[in-house]
Amino acid sequence: MMLKALEQFRHRRFRRDLSAYVDDMLSEKARRRLEAHLHSCEACRQELAELRATVETLGSLPMAEVPRSFTLAAPPVAEVRPRPTARRLEFGLRLATATAAFALTLVVVGDFAGLPGGGEQEEEKPSGMLLSANQETPAVAEAVPVGTPAAEETQPMIGAVPAETPAAVEAPPAETPAAVEAPPVEAPAAEETPSAIVGAPAETPEPPGIWSRDVPGVTEGPTPAPAGVEEGVFGFGEQAQDKATVEDAEVDEEADLAPDGAPAVAEEEDGGLSRGDVVRWLEIGLGAGVGILVVLWVTTRFHRGIGDRG
Amino acid sequence: MVIADEGQLVQRSQKGDLGAFNALVEAYQRQVYNLCLRMLGSAAAEDAAQEAFITAYRRLDSFRGGSFRAWLLRIAANNCCDELRRQRSRPAASLEAALEAGSPADISSHSAGPEEEALRRELGRHLQQGLAVLPTEQRLAIILRDIHGLSYEELTEALGCSLGTVKSRIARARSRMREYLMARRELLPSQFRLKE
Repeated sequence: MMLKALEQFRHRRFRRDLSAYVDDMLSEKARRRLEAHLHSCEACRQELAELRATVETLGSLPMAEVPRSFTLAAPPVAEVRPRPTARRLEFGLRLATATAAFALTLVVVGDFAGLPGGGEQEEEKPSGMLLSANQETPAVAEAVPVGTPAAEETQPMIGAVPAETPAAVEAPPAETPAAVEAPPVEAPAAEETPSAIVGAPAETPEPPGIWSRDVPGVTEGPTPAPAGVEEGVFGFGEQAQDKATVEDAEVDEEADLAPDGAPAVAEEEDGGLSRGDVVRWLEIGLGAGVGILVVLWVTTRFHRGIGDRG
Repeated sequence: MVIADEGQLVQRSQKGDLGAFNALVEAYQRQVYNLCLRMLGSAAAEDAAQEAFITAYRRLDSFRGGSFRAWLLRIAANNCCDELRRQRSRPAASLEAALEAGSPADISSHSAGPEEEALRRELGRHLQQGLAVLPTEQRLAIILRDIHGLSYEELTEALGCSLGTVKSRIARARSRMREYLMARRELLPSQFRLKE
């Protein structure tokens, strides 16, 4: 049973290679394997013969003569395109949007990663070590607006290392209730901290216990939302593709690497999707994803604020 | 087919020499026209081919070496896709136009006898109908490969996708064409009856 299924699978793979074999486009190894299979598989031999006949027949189609000459009598009028400045502006705006979205994602992911699981972590926190680490790295500004709007004057530095050592570093929320209410996207601490050293967190010693406990929180928190976004975007493309051809869905080319996947989907004209459309949907999807993340983040913050007060 | 001083002609065209560009048009117009003919049918092919050359002239500065034929055919192919999209938005005319595309009267005959000529025409009609039901990108791939004889390298340029994608599109298109022709075996010339 299993063997038969495996045989079927191999057979399908070999069938897929037949076209490239006709054009001598298989690698030496694949070619030899296919030839060995052909030796033992009557169905594949038949299909190969039919495939060759098909190619030959198509090749025998005569080319039509042109009905007239297509030479140009005069240089055509220049195409009306958006002015380069306008296009540059658009590009700049899109780049800015993308950067903002990315930064915002960092903020939220960083913040989720930085959420303390509960009060008991404070006791385990080796604050002395952290302090010295922070003295070495006086400013981790870039991370500040990101990770901790909470960390105002009270603990500007400690909160600044959200990504790498999340729970260990976050200031105890109970001590800074006011900070919790700080507007989420603003970065008040950033003004106090003059420069950015992103590499700094590496020097911060990791408290292993806390780190390991917080890992699930880190991974579970923010990821579902982006995943959903991706599914949404690519699901859309795939629907279009399915409409275009059912066969396409079942036969998947092994040589199609992931980077090819997107453009391939984008090019499925039969679904009425152009590359531009896909980019637009991708942008919309990203925007929606970021929006969901922000809402999640704000909600979590809000709950935490209530919890702290209570 | 590559014309002898193609590189020079391209360079001169890029500097605005219309005569040089027209020499390139003459060298490739048959291929461009035939691609449009196979993709769109005879009614729309002429306009599409002319449009392709006009677009090519305007975009000459975007040609950065490689195969000029592939670059030109890519422009023509994109044109055809646009046209097909337009046709789809007014569906009544589209299918008929695609099917009517058969081998038109202007296909060159090889001074064959009337019977052979009739057979050839019949075959052309069947092939065209088989091609017409393929998804656009598969149709493009198989036409450029098996009718125009582009190499796989040229195909990656003309279709703007990876070698893997090119291979798989051609494989799928050929597989469908094989099924289509096998289902009509009795109408086809000897090649298909030999391999029983």
